[in-house]
Amino acid sequence: MSAEPIVKLSAVNKTYFRGSESIPVLDGLDFEVPDGAFQALMGPSGSGKSTLLHLIAGLDRPTKGSVQVAGKELSKMSDAELAAFRANHIGFIFQSYNLLPVLTAQENVELPLLLTKLGRGERKTRAQTALRVVGLEERMGHYPRQLSGGQEQRVAIARAIVNDPQILVADEPTGDLDRKSADDVLELLGRLNTELKKTIVMVTHDPAAAERATVTRHLNKGALQ
Amino acid sequence: MVPIVYNLRSLAVRKTTTLATAGGVALVVFVFAAVLMLSEGVKRTLGRSGSDDIAIVLRDGSDAELSSGIEAPQIALITAPSEVKRRGGGAPDAAAEIVAVLSLDKVGTDGQSNAQIRGVPDDVMSFRPSVRLVAGRVPRPGADEAMIGNAIRGRFRGLDMGQSFEIRKNRNLTVVGVFEDGGSSYESEIWAGRDQVQSALGRGTVVSSVRVRLRSRDVFERYQRQLQSNRQLGVDVMRESDYYAKQSEGLSIFINALGILVAFFFSVGAVIGAMITMHASVANRSREIGTLRALGFKRWQILLCFLLESSILALVGGLLGAAASLSMALVRFPMVNFASWSEIVFTFEPTPGVIIASLVVAVLMGLVGGFLPAVRAARADVLSAIRA
Ligand SMILES: Nc1ncnc2c1ncn2[C@@H]1O[C@H](COP(=O)(O)OP(=O)(O)OP(=O)(O)O)[C@@H](O)[C@H]1O
Ligand SMILES: [Mg+2]
Repeated sequence: MSAEPIVKLSAVNKTYFRGSESIPVLDGLDFEVPDGAFQALMGPSGSGKSTLLHLIAGLDRPTKGSVQVAGKELSKMSDAELAAFRANHIGFIFQSYNLLPVLTAQENVELPLLLTKLGRGERKTRAQTALRVVGLEERMGHYPRQLSGGQEQRVAIARAIVNDPQILVADEPTGDLDRKSADDVLELLGRLNTELKKTIVMVTHDPAAAERATVTRHLNKGALQ
Repeated sequence: MVPIVYNLRSLAVRKTTTLATAGGVALVVFVFAAVLMLSEGVKRTLGRSGSDDIAIVLRDGSDAELSSGIEAPQIALITAPSEVKRRGGGAPDAAAEIVAVLSLDKVGTDGQSNAQIRGVPDDVMSFRPSVRLVAGRVPRPGADEAMIGNAIRGRFRGLDMGQSFEIRKNRNLTVVGVFEDGGSSYESEIWAGRDQVQSALGRGTVVSSVRVRLRSRDVFERYQRQLQSNRQLGVDVMRESDYYAKQSEGLSIFINALGILVAFFFSVGAVIGAMITMHASVANRSREIGTLRALGFKRWQILLCFLLESSILALVGGLLGAAASLSMALVRFPMVNFASWSEIVFTFEPTPGVIIASLVVAVLMGLVGGFLPAVRAARADVLSAIRA
């Protein structure tokens, strides 16, 4: 049993400023995720779920407080350091997939590997392996517009895992999908958690999705309940 | 690195704007390449007229044949030195010629223009073995006949086989031959007997220049020293190749300056076009840029990606423009040469250097036009980019 949580936010404050107006979203939040967990995060719209995910993923910095992920303190990192952190430790899964439309499935999955020292052949093999994990190996030459929403999201998941990051962060990954495709995606995330030991933090509005997770936590007005 | 296929396909997806923008660049590159080709053509045409084992002797202080005058008795002194090659019978291998400008009616317009006439010795063909008749024959000594260069054939009224033109009021010369000389500026001249030209123009026995073929190119300096040290002779001696290089200098600089000025103003338009296109393209792809950043690509990598894209865009234009400019090789372009104030027909000479320079200019335009949009892409905040 590893004692250290892989995600540890302490006394985190996040305030947005719009002109003279300040919008406090998170205030004094403490939040931990143990290594290997699959946690769902629920809560009403505007409660700060995405804001929290962005902090964990190194896409944003807290206004105050400490964000430690995979042993790194993110709150003091420069933009370039955060970019390197994201490339090495985080797989991000978006609600709207965000595949690059002009690249094939395989090329999309390969993108994160272009930030490594891997050669062409090795990149290709790894991208194909990741596509096999999500069950889309035979679709590797397809462009996003030639795939269904569920398939697009699975390609996006392949892209998120291709670098073998420790943590997957998903913001409403099934929000745009029908029930059947959503179940496929959730089943896949479950397998990534149990078989590949990925720590997963997933924001969702869908109770069926939350059920897949091992723990469900509720955020309301920036505070955990 | 963001893969280059991303740029290529993004450009291909926006086919119409890509081609329109590339078209602007192509236009600039076309003008730029055509100017450089013409400037090369000028050097080539005038350069072909000169060889380095021939010395040209002019009056001291004249920089062109047209403004030079040498008295007949001096010709013997000029051809006497031992550096001058001899022909079979011992005569010097030399040509004393008079050069003048005739104002003739242009064919196809109402105006007149200048053509250069050269009064040549009877044995001119043996002095210039590269000159070759393509029609008719050489003028008979003493007859009112002329032969003309292939490049001005048909450009002026009376300048064609069997026709005649006025060398002076009521004095006609009939064209009996047409010659070629490998594209040299002689092809833009009229050649007639020296005596005919001298008497028709009232020049007595004065010639403009004396050319002598040297025993070898290495004896030039000795020959030059010998003639120029003779104050009474009062002549300048130049290698013929240097003389023509100097003749082409002014025109070449003028063409380059004018052309580069025109290309510069065009390029401002093309650069703005590229900037607008890239700007719109960056704005449309905000989410893609945000996604790349979220995956871990750094700001400078985004900057590079878009600079590369605008360079490729401009390079496409550059290739189109350079390809189109190659067609100019078929065009013959008459221009007044400052040194002789008469028309010389030039060709556009495509050289690898011209093509490379054109493509470099295209890429530079892409970089300049793409810079601000690329900076904008690189500066975008990750989260707002994804949300946009
Ligand atoms: N860049 C921003 N500038 C200003 N306010 C922001 C910004 N991003 C988020 N907010 C505000 O912060 C609050 C929390 O937003 P957040 O996106 O974290 O909510 P959420 O829980 O993910 O909601 P949803 O379920 O609708 O996605 C909202 O009131 C939102 O308007
Ligand atoms: Mg949200």
